[in-house]
Amino acid sequence: MKKHGKPALGVPRRTILKGSLMTASLAGVGAFYGPWHHNRAFAQGKKPIKLGLTNDSSGQFGNSGQDEHRAIRMVIDEWNAKGGVLGRKIEWVTADTESSPAAGTRVAERFITREDCPILIGALHSGVANAITQVANKYGTIFLNTNSSAPSEAGENCSRIKFVWDGNGTNFSKAAVANAVKTIGKNWLLLTNDYVWGHSTAAATKALIEANGGKIIDNLLVPQNTRDFTSYLLKIQQIKPQVIGTAIAGDDNKALREQITQLKLDRPGGPAWINNQQDWPDVWGSPQSLFGVFGTSWYHKLNLPGVPEFVKKWQDANKDGPIPVPGNVSYNGYMATQELFRAIERAGSTNNIAIIKALEGHKMSAKDRMQHFDAYIDPDTHQVQQTIYLARKNEKPVDNTDHFEILSWTEPKDVMDDAAPTKCKLVPHDKVPSVDA
Amino acid sequence: MTGTASDARLITPTMLGAWLVLATVPLWISTIGLYPYIGVEILIWSIYALAFNLLLGTSGLPSFGHGAFFGIGAYAFGLTQFNVAANLWVALAGAMLAGALAGLLVGLFIAHRRGIYFALLTIAFGQIFWTISVKWHSVTGGEDGLLNIVRLPVNLGIASFDITDNERLYYFVLAAFAVVVVLMWRLVNSPYGRILSAIRQSEVRTAHLGYNVWAYKLSAIVISAAFSGLAGGLFAMAQRSAFPDVMNLAQSGLVVMMTLVGGGLVSFWGPVIGVIVFLIARDVIGAMTTGWMLYFGTMFVLLVLFRPEGIAGGFKLLVERWKARGTAPEALSSEPRSG
Amino acid sequence: MFDLLPHLLNGLVLGLLLALIALGFMLIIGLMEQINLAHGSLFALGAYFALMLTGPKPPLPPDAAAFWLQIPLGWRYALALVIAPCLAGIVGIAVEVCMRRTYGKDPLYGLLLTFGVALVLEELIRLTWGTRDHVLPVPSGMSGAFIFQDLIWSTYRFYAAGMAAIVIGLVWLLIEKTPYGAMIKAGAHDSEMVRALGVNLSKLRLGVFVLGTMLAAFAGIIVAPIWGIRPHMGVDAVVPAFLIIVLGGVGSFWGAVIASLLVGLAVGVSGAYASEWSLLSMYLLLVAIVSFRARGLFGKKSMLEV
Repeated sequence: MKKHGKPALGVPRRTILKGSLMTASLAGVGAFYGPWHHNRAFAQGKKPIKLGLTNDSSGQFGNSGQDEHRAIRMVIDEWNAKGGVLGRKIEWVTADTESSPAAGTRVAERFITREDCPILIGALHSGVANAITQVANKYGTIFLNTNSSAPSEAGENCSRIKFVWDGNGTNFSKAAVANAVKTIGKNWLLLTNDYVWGHSTAAATKALIEANGGKIIDNLLVPQNTRDFTSYLLKIQQIKPQVIGTAIAGDDNKALREQITQLKLDRPGGPAWINNQQDWPDVWGSPQSLFGVFGTSWYHKLNLPGVPEFVKKWQDANKDGPIPVPGNVSYNGYMATQELFRAIERAGSTNNIAIIKALEGHKMSAKDRMQHFDAYIDPDTHQVQQTIYLARKNEKPVDNTDHFEILSWTEPKDVMDDAAPTKCKLVPHDKVPSVDA
Repeated sequence: MTGTASDARLITPTMLGAWLVLATVPLWISTIGLYPYIGVEILIWSIYALAFNLLLGTSGLPSFGHGAFFGIGAYAFGLTQFNVAANLWVALAGAMLAGALAGLLVGLFIAHRRGIYFALLTIAFGQIFWTISVKWHSVTGGEDGLLNIVRLPVNLGIASFDITDNERLYYFVLAAFAVVVVLMWRLVNSPYGRILSAIRQSEVRTAHLGYNVWAYKLSAIVISAAFSGLAGGLFAMAQRSAFPDVMNLAQSGLVVMMTLVGGGLVSFWGPVIGVIVFLIARDVIGAMTTGWMLYFGTMFVLLVLFRPEGIAGGFKLLVERWKARGTAPEALSSEPRSG
Repeated sequence: MFDLLPHLLNGLVLGLLLALIALGFMLIIGLMEQINLAHGSLFALGAYFALMLTGPKPPLPPDAAAFWLQIPLGWRYALALVIAPCLAGIVGIAVEVCMRRTYGKDPLYGLLLTFGVALVLEELIRLTWGTRDHVLPVPSGMSGAFIFQDLIWSTYRFYAAGMAAIVIGLVWLLIEKTPYGAMIKAGAHDSEMVRALGVNLSKLRLGVFVLGTMLAAFAGIIVAPIWGIRPHMGVDAVVPAFLIIVLGGVGSFWGAVIASLLVGLAVGVSGAYASEWSLLSMYLLLVAIVSFRARGLFGKKSMLEV
């Protein structure tokens, strides 16, 4: 076991844990289900496993960060209720990673060296995810990147200790583009956020368009933090493409959605819009502004066994939460944490290498993941290869949460990012510092 | 806070005391619930804040885009390491040089400005540099960051020390901090520093005395930017990566806040005190509650309302009172600056 | 050539919106020589107050809420346009009372204080309304689109630009054509003289600050349906406001308005022809102009320069 600045007196640990719980309930982010409310069937004398939850609670991804935080806590409570993992209780600490890489580094250092967390969970922003990975790499700490969907996460910025749970920009492009070129039209315009995620997603889209016989008539680069898209929307009307492929993220995307629906540019007669993934916490604030076709990795009204039960369970655990049903962000947090615990049980150990090996190549059944096809953790890139759904705004919702109409689901093998394994170089297992809890 | 008699000295008792206390930090930091990395971060930000205060406190030039120099230093450290030589001294020199060059470029546009226009133009330049760092991702890695920056060994010719461990890095950064403190102290208390102070009090009067105010301000900007770049280089090494976010407006604002909270306007050590209080408060409150901004902001407001001279100012006031034993102290603003 | 016209028109509309956003900031910096960093949070607060009044769950007793919800959305929206800025104005009073302690000191202290206030307000917004995004409902007559010159335009944007123009006009009337305006302007330049004239300076400052706050809140309501409502939306407002004031020159009303239009045109036109540079264009514009005109377009000598 590798120790780092072990607190000799260890006094304030408990205070930190309680403090975060207290505020979580104060802030109204959900009912308090502390681990010690359940029966304590934990093995005598075994020390708890302490997870570091690196979730944003302020900044651009504060909303989604708290959404995944709720799901991760749910899994922890469920497992504690049935006796923990390997008979050991699971504890957790959290701190705001502020949607900022500098905060990500600090929080990761704190959780690893001060709180002795062997595993970190949670990320939305690729910069924050990378900052945490840099720290985790150094110590060999396992890091679950739950929700950062940059293709580079499982490409050039992959790591032996990092596992990527979300579908990425390339996956979604592959699910959507070929079909759209054939059925809608060959003249495409790309509307791309001018930063890495936008560019890599646009590059994947462009390659697919051209491979299917379409052509790019323009690529409008949109600076990060753009709030006003009217000049782009006017330009699009002047250029008159048949299809527009967007790779706009975060707050920029929310503003874009509002402005397109106000203009009714998404109506028949206008161009068709192919979007990337729309995160549920972002959709929930303004579902009326959904437009075009977009991707998701999960939806709470998928017609699959287990989905209604999961939704019910999630709702019971998050009664006063700001969002009434789980979406893809919460789902990824839940699945990542659950698979982690299972991997620990399979490994029969909390040794990091043993857990990593138990996760690598692991197959997860469609039934278990409540998706249409089996998924697996790619041993070469550490990305979960999973079903990708395409959806559009639901014109006939069955209730006030039913905002998506699921159009299609694509098998993992058909949406795989083929370029990722050539970009991703994982260090050998024996080069990873050993960590145990 | 030593008296003015020590101003001319190379090393003051306060410095020695501070270094000594800081040198023991790794021995006890874990027992008070903190961890070595926060110590590293505090020292790096202290260097940054001291460099920044050469403009704000000494010269009276409020820069709100200083994160640009810090960030440029961070990228330069990584890029020098990757493309020039994987040598610590070369990489740190690269960080300082890049900071200085950026300072020179910005300074040419703003050195003849004062007050609000100076502040606002620095914001504009900060935003320009931030935008470039996000846009130019073939070089900077964009929002994904410039990754895999190595904590290079300290090569002293006869011996080489590894600083990949946080505690070792802490001592290296402490050494850098000590050097920067001595240099800044000498600078502030040199004839050059006194002219900067004169500029702060009245640019017009200083100009009438025959000094080239523009050249002095420009040089102060360049020096401040160079040391901010150095701090940025150290930060890239601590973080093992460099990101655009240290260059954004909010992060640039932080160094202003830390400096003012600590009392940078009235004391040489103010920025350092501000950094220590600010970073520890944020970390401790942040660990207790994800709503840390509320408590932190409230603390901030109260401090400005009741201790506007900052912590160092408040401390000085106490010392004055104790010395005066009953006689009312003079207004702080009229006091000479001292360490 | 005719391709350019829609972008010029759009640039002007955007410019008017930016002017509205900068107006409150301008009053406080120009007439009180205080940099109000809480401007963005007050902008956000206005939007949230309006949301509270027009949304499905007004914070009223059940009976009153039911009555309130029976009023058509158009009227509720119109009332919110008046009530929400007033509520924000109350917050402004509290901020100004705190700020009094910083008057006469280095303007940096006022800036520091308002930075703290901004942090507190943002977190209070997060605690009260949650972290998620919201949409401000607007009456159906104002939403939607119309076709002009074969292009689809947003109705709401023109309504918003019209409101901006009206408010700009009203503020101009207040400053230039009423005795209050004369007092305010005098107070900015020579507080001794104002005192000698028997004007209560502290009341004057309070009035200006509250007016600036209300304008920030009003801008928040008008812009919210375009940008969306979220806790950290204030940052989106405070940066352009800053920039416009420097470009136009501190203390100049028309300077700020003209600067807003210039920025709007620069961002709008570059968005169409050099899209990736559109946001940077405003900073480059600033550097270009301020390099030649030290105090911006129409700036006067200000206490904040020394």
